[in-house]
Amino acid sequence: MAKIGLATHGLARENPRFPGQAMIRVRNLSKSYTVHKKAPGLWGSIRSLVARQKVVKHAVRGVDLDVGEGEILGLVGPNGAGKTTLVKMLAGIIHPSGGEAQVLGHTPWERNNEFRRQIALIMGQKAQLWWDLPAADGFLLLKEIYRIPDDRYAANLAYLAEVLDVEQHLNVQVRRLSLGERMKMELIAALLHEPRVVFLDEPTIGLDLTAQRAIRDFLLAYREEHRPAMILTSHYMEDIQRLCKRIVIIDDGRFLYDGPLDQVAQAYAGQKVITVHLRRGDGSPPPAEALAAFGDVLTAGEDEVQLCVPRERVAEASAYLLAELPVADLSIDEEDIGTIIERIFRERRVEGA
Amino acid sequence: MSRYARLYVYFLRFSFSRAMEFRVDFFFRIFMDALFYAVTLAFFWVMYRHSPFMGGWNFDQALVFAAAVFLNDALHMTLFSNNLWWFPIFVNKGDLDYYLVRPVSSLFFLSLRDFAANSFVNLLLAFAIVVWSLLRYPEPLGADRIALFAVLLLLGLFVGYLLNFIFLVPVFWMHNASGLRETYFGLSQLSSRPDGIFTGWVRRLLTSILPFALIVSFPTRALFEAEIGWIVLQLVGIAVGLFAVLMLLWRLGLRAYASASS
Repeated sequence: MAKIGLATHGLARENPRFPGQAMIRVRNLSKSYTVHKKAPGLWGSIRSLVARQKVVKHAVRGVDLDVGEGEILGLVGPNGAGKTTLVKMLAGIIHPSGGEAQVLGHTPWERNNEFRRQIALIMGQKAQLWWDLPAADGFLLLKEIYRIPDDRYAANLAYLAEVLDVEQHLNVQVRRLSLGERMKMELIAALLHEPRVVFLDEPTIGLDLTAQRAIRDFLLAYREEHRPAMILTSHYMEDIQRLCKRIVIIDDGRFLYDGPLDQVAQAYAGQKVITVHLRRGDGSPPPAEALAAFGDVLTAGEDEVQLCVPRERVAEASAYLLAELPVADLSIDEEDIGTIIERIFRERRVEGA
Repeated sequence: MSRYARLYVYFLRFSFSRAMEFRVDFFFRIFMDALFYAVTLAFFWVMYRHSPFMGGWNFDQALVFAAAVFLNDALHMTLFSNNLWWFPIFVNKGDLDYYLVRPVSSLFFLSLRDFAANSFVNLLLAFAIVVWSLLRYPEPLGADRIALFAVLLLLGLFVGYLLNFIFLVPVFWMHNASGLRETYFGLSQLSSRPDGIFTGWVRRLLTSILPFALIVSFPTRALFEAEIGWIVLQLVGIAVGLFAVLMLLWRLGLRAYASASS
């Protein structure tokens, strides 16, 4: 587990988590863009035409990362945190401004074919299949691109289509498929060639709950069978919690945390949630102001009171609640992981303001 | 059959399947191009009623040139035009991403992925006009000259494709491609005029740095002129030079490619 401050970087430093066997290895990787600022309105546009105010935007700021075989790493962060930029650098799509990365021993942005044959990229917001043709036609093209032997192609397609339950849709034009079915076809397209490294950029975005669950289950099954290294970005905490044992929390291009998901609470949760169920008809709960003295009041109803309190005040708050309220049941829990991460970002926004 | 040839067969299959779906567009394109051919031929016919020679060519030679312009245009429209139209949009919307992760040449994919099957009939029509213009030519041309003409026409087509792409690659830095597109389109019109009508530095410019004037004129000259060594050498040299320029710009462009956020 590692809670990361402003990281100090050692090039070619070995990560004890994967001694000499990380499939993805990143050292001090950074990416900056120069953008120009424009004041609003016509006058702003005219001024921008003559003299542009250039601003350097740091999308990724010197990060280190190792991902091993069979691992699904969750990359969590708000919009603009640098998640997609990092993934696209590792997939060889964009060049970094500095630092090093090795994916399966290759420098991604050199884009040699040996590297590209072994990776896959799935972007929930972009389609790779031909819109007007059946997915099966697109798969044939991919078979040729990746030089997949006939028997392996047939076996992989049969397996993927069966597990994802889309066998009956293979010959339907992609544009006639539902969003969930299209995403499943995109997954097949990405995995037909059995990639050893898979980048998943918001693969469940916009899908209904059933489709999200089906895709999560599939990714877990696929990981068990093929053991690729995977990096997953998602705004859905359900994706992260179900698929990833390890996460990286990224904000403003920096890693804030890189470690086991279940230890995020210990690293960041300065608070616990006390939930009290009240006996019915035994009077009303004390006013919210009295409860607020201990921390955030999440609920203050006739049946239930829920407080989020600092760890050091948990005993004091519990004693108060037991003494003052008709308690039927009391429980003390860690904060929900999603709530913790949201709070981390919220607090950083406030600090930055 | 090489892998790239097999990939191209897939592109053809997919493009024809798709084109057949849009029947009205399919027939409309044929009608539009047939109209363009008729107007251009009529234009040359009217011009030659006033002057027996233009740019050093008589009417029969100008007719072969006009037919070659049609064929060059139909080939460009069928093979490259759709693909190059989409290229700046791909760059700006980040849709280049999937092309860059595939273990094949991204330039090959981006340039040839979409075969304009609805222009294919026009290609046949343009080819027929070339054959007709050669058959009606009053003097014997010789099979070797006709073969050289065909090869040089393909080389001219390649030069046209390279120029088109080179004009679009700056979209990596400029992001707005409309100016680039308009400039290319304006200059490309010069390839449908005989190079002999240009003189002085304009001619030197249009047959070297911006070699639009040689795309169709030089292959046609190879049919009629006695000394053709320099024509062939210049066309080959320019094709090689432009290819090197495109490769260099492409590499630099990909370094600058920022994709788009999700």
